[in-house]
Amino acid sequence: MKTYLLAGLSAAILAVSCTGLAAQTELNRNEIINSLQGAQQEVNLSADELQKAAIENIQKYPGANSPHDLPLADKLASLRQFNVEITFDFDSARIRPESYETVGVIADALHTPYLQGQTFVIVGHTDAKGARQYNLDLSIKRAQAVREALVTTFMVPPQYLFAVGLGEEQLRDPSQPDAAVNRRVQLINLGFK
Amino acid sequence: MRQLIFAVTASLMLVTAPAVAQTVGFAEAIKMLGASCGKDIETYCKSATLANNGITQCLEQNQSKVSAKCNADRKVVISLISERLAAQAAVPQICSRDIAQYCKGVKEGAGHILRCLLKAKPSVGAKCNTAIDMAGYR
Repeated sequence: MKTYLLAGLSAAILAVSCTGLAAQTELNRNEIINSLQGAQQEVNLSADELQKAAIENIQKYPGANSPHDLPLADKLASLRQFNVEITFDFDSARIRPESYETVGVIADALHTPYLQGQTFVIVGHTDAKGARQYNLDLSIKRAQAVREALVTTFMVPPQYLFAVGLGEEQLRDPSQPDAAVNRRVQLINLGFK
Repeated sequence: MRQLIFAVTASLMLVTAPAVAQTVGFAEAIKMLGASCGKDIETYCKSATLANNGITQCLEQNQSKVSAKCNADRKVVISLISERLAAQAAVPQICSRDIAQYCKGVKEGAGHILRCLLKAKPSVGAKCNTAIDMAGYR
């Protein structure tokens, strides 16, 4: 008798915790959708232009740190976007297992009809520690790794997804160039083609 | 006593019911890989990446060394992902009549049709409503 009661109870608790978990994942996905949807019909910016701007910024203004934001910064800031944190192996573009879920949440969002048919760019950023060119190259590789994971493992249509690395050229907090807050992966909606 | 058994089966049904009516999202599926295989990945697949199914392939190649739980779950993860993809791909077909009937004139793209179907849930057919559930679109 007691065992039946216990079994019933634990099963009920399991049911509660299951829905709790599902709701949490759902919330994250919807957070991304809400931040990314509602793009302008046409965005006057391409992934190529963005990548070129970062490369030129290093050539034109060499030095340990960039003296100012990218010329495209205002345009970038006006676009629908979302920041995520993805952890990689040190000095590598290998996504760590604890970040698999984050990549999965991005896939969940991109696979909903709300975001389908729009073009997205995955933008990798580093902090300002180390050489700028090195950081740029690493961020390009990391953005590409996230894109690759999305288009292969999660079958996100590749024609809508681009990867760009901005290294330390577009810091989130320029007053603290070495802070962890600068290391991030940005998802930006470039609108309908 | 019989009532208690009934209570148990009822609550068990509560547990299994969502699994029947829904496939699992990509995040939940791949989280399972990280949780069940994280240690094995760091031991045997240090140079493999998530791209091109590199991790699941590496785990398969090392299946004799990988933990039992990881060996079981890596296969589950692969099928969960393909089930969700199939469920999402099936929605337009299964819901085509409901779309024609309840979402006439609704603009395609940006989720307008899905929003219409979600709003029309009480009128939409059971098959289409289930397809939306299975796709994780609700």
